[in-house]
Amino acid sequence: MKWFWCLFFAFWPIVAIALCWVSPSLGWWFPSEAASPLGRRIDDLFYMILLITSVTFVGTQVALAYALFRGASDTEPEADAKKAWYSHGSHELEVIWSIVPAFVLLFIALYQLDVWAEYRVKDAFPRDKMEAVFESINQKRSETDSLALAEVTARQFEWRIRYPGFNEDGSLKPLMADPQPTDLYAVNDLHLPASAPVMINLRTMDVQHSFFLPDLRIKQDAVPGLVIPIWFEAERQQSYQLLCAELCGWGHYKMNARFVAESDEGFIEYLRQLEREQNEDRVDEVPETDAE
Amino acid sequence: MRTCLTLLLICAVSGCGSKPEFSHRDEYENLPPYAQAYVDEVLNTYFGTPTDMVVWDKLPLKLHTATGKVTTADNRSITLDINEPHAEISSGTELLLEAGEEAQQISAWIRSWDEESHTATLESALQSKPAEEQSVVVGPGQVLANGRHLYAEHCQHCHGVTGDGNGPTAPYLNPKPRDYRRGIFKFTTTQAPKRASREDLARVIEDGIPGTYMPSFKLLTEDESAALVEYVMWLSLRGELEYQLIRTLSDSYSNDAIKDRTSDGETSRNDIRDEFNAAVNEPDSFRYELDMMTTRLTQDWSSSQEEPAEVRPLTPRIPYSAESVAKGRVLYLNEKNKCLQCHGEAGYGDGSQTFSITKNELNQENPAPGLYDVWGNPIKPRNLHRGIYRGGRRPIDLYSRIYAGIKGTPMPAFSTTTLRKTDPDDPESAITDEDIWHLVNYILSVPFEEVKTGAGADSAKTAELATTPQEVDSH
Ligand code: HEC
Ligand code: HEC
Ligand SMILES: [Cu+2]
Repeated sequence: MKWFWCLFFAFWPIVAIALCWVSPSLGWWFPSEAASPLGRRIDDLFYMILLITSVTFVGTQVALAYALFRGASDTEPEADAKKAWYSHGSHELEVIWSIVPAFVLLFIALYQLDVWAEYRVKDAFPRDKMEAVFESINQKRSETDSLALAEVTARQFEWRIRYPGFNEDGSLKPLMADPQPTDLYAVNDLHLPASAPVMINLRTMDVQHSFFLPDLRIKQDAVPGLVIPIWFEAERQQSYQLLCAELCGWGHYKMNARFVAESDEGFIEYLRQLEREQNEDRVDEVPETDAE
Repeated sequence: MRTCLTLLLICAVSGCGSKPEFSHRDEYENLPPYAQAYVDEVLNTYFGTPTDMVVWDKLPLKLHTATGKVTTADNRSITLDINEPHAEISSGTELLLEAGEEAQQISAWIRSWDEESHTATLESALQSKPAEEQSVVVGPGQVLANGRHLYAEHCQHCHGVTGDGNGPTAPYLNPKPRDYRRGIFKFTTTQAPKRASREDLARVIEDGIPGTYMPSFKLLTEDESAALVEYVMWLSLRGELEYQLIRTLSDSYSNDAIKDRTSDGETSRNDIRDEFNAAVNEPDSFRYELDMMTTRLTQDWSSSQEEPAEVRPLTPRIPYSAESVAKGRVLYLNEKNKCLQCHGEAGYGDGSQTFSITKNELNQENPAPGLYDVWGNPIKPRNLHRGIYRGGRRPIDLYSRIYAGIKGTPMPAFSTTTLRKTDPDDPESAITDEDIWHLVNYILSVPFEEVKTGAGADSAKTAELATTPQEVDSH
């Protein structure tokens, strides 16, 4: 029995390491590589934490196995009568295992600051790059206009999307906080330019939802009463999954939608398409020949 | 023990073991057993059960993956001339050859399909080479079967197995999920007496109905959405046939009617039953009525798919302008158009009819004051300030709502039978095409206006554009 427990606790760190080693090649690893630069940095944070916890886990298991091994291999006659050493209440040890994790946590807290700031703090948003996008999609705007290109409103159980419309001269209007007569609407289908940071405003009409782009590692709760800006950058022009990550009611699972990252021209063409559909009056474009 | 309990719980929750079954209308319960048996038999013969469906060729539906004719063929590969558009044909699909005059059918399975040349290579060689021009059905009933699967996955918990709008989630919803069994759909772009077109149903499935619990199913593929449309129409035809059949039978054979007929003591219940059984077997009695019903239903649905059934404005949309909005407001306030009575002077959906006693289809008074739809649920006229358009916000959508009404609801159709362009100074002239466009513009302007009740026609104007975005910092 002694040997069983010794082997048992030695077994787990070995399994853990072996599994971690082979799983990427077996396709058991986490979702495929992040599809955005920020996503990769978030992944890096994740792997760093994984590394710290793995080392801790493996270390404690090895220590445990070693302690058991020492006990099990003690063959001296009086071994059975030996008493264990109780560390409970040891001031020194308590201090060590309070301070070491505290430093580790402090390190993580400091280390992730700039990633978090870039993702969440408005002043750290990559504003210049966003403005370059406005330029290339020809959006006419002033300094104070919203950086968002779309407003995404979560609702039980779908995503309703509002885009700004076009000016007479063909340029794109900025997104206004309140709905405008020229706005364009879509549902469960978010299209935005790829290869540059773009921003949306997130809201909810009813309960709390969460805007989740797993491939881009973007997850943000939509909170009643708040308009929350989120930016993201999809590197490839393709379609990504958009999910709700907050259990928002019985139909939560229905809230899966599509995020399509497009070229700048493709994005404008998409908005034009929405505009055409939205202005459908089912009258063929024949000039009126109806004299008085 | 624990696992047993868990399994039991899972069974109780998911209802495993119980097969889905079509339910009956309430009126069915008021028929004697022999009439019920007849209704069951008819529905079973022509529609089957949810797990064993029947493809009834008479219905105006596209229930096969594709249909067409053989152009050239040898024993192993067949080139087809098929009707477009067709659903995707994959390997393993059944191919049904309607061989010869005896209408003998030969089944074969497709190994591979070449979409470009429309050529099917078969799993195994046919005994004889199919003749040219021979009719072929690809994937018989496959669309119906796909529709049923998708419906069970996505729709059934709201709309119910039968399409009675009474699935397990329905009690918690307002408005209630649509009961398809009357063949009535609200948000159509077809003329007032017509049914919904396939495009209308597909649009509702794709975009959902904003402001209600009907969600958007945008991510379904075209084939999936088309299969769902056919399945919804199939349920709707089944439901309506049941409805009409029971109504016809109820005239003389409902329990109430039988009580009436036997009250004089001359006819006995047994006489009535014998009379019923005789009528069942007589070709020009129930059979004939059933044929008539089916023909009528088929015609209604198929004519609704054709172009003349569409709502088509005569004039293009009148551009949105303050002037047009003002005209629209005058029309809205015009007593003759009655918009006020329901939607209220300021458009908050609080007009006088929402307080009055109203009657239902059968001319009985509704249980409480206010408006009701044909399914017997209370209904509120829309608050136009919300800017939510359940039937869609395209000009043609709103035009259709006013022109053809919202079917199944008190919102009436305002089309004159033939639209004309009228004399604006003649107060007697009926509502015209342009008038409807002005009303559409007015309706689109309401969410942006700030009109107080009773302010009259002059204060209608569009809102100024907001200039400062209001974002809330999230940190
Ligand atoms: C969460 C419940 C729910 C689900 C799931 C749902 N519906 Fe509905 N559906 C509704 C409600 C509620 C309405 C009625 C809205 C109204 O009356 O304005 C409706 C209406 C409809 C209508 C009628 C539209 C009209 O013009 O009258 C159709 C057709 C329809 N649904 C089809 C579907 C299909 C097909 C699915 C599955 C893919 C589906 N629904 C899933 C709740 C649901
Ligand atoms: C008898 C009452 C009645 C009258 C008269 C009436 N409506 Fe309605 N209206 C309704 C009801 C009820 C609804 C809600 C139907 C539903 O559940 O979708 C409605 C809905 C609407 C909608 C919303 C359509 C959508 O897609 O959401 C509009 C717009 C509308 N009415 C405009 C008008 C106009 C314009 C007039 C006058 C020309 C008018 N109505 C007259 C009862 C009425
Ligand atoms: Cu949600």
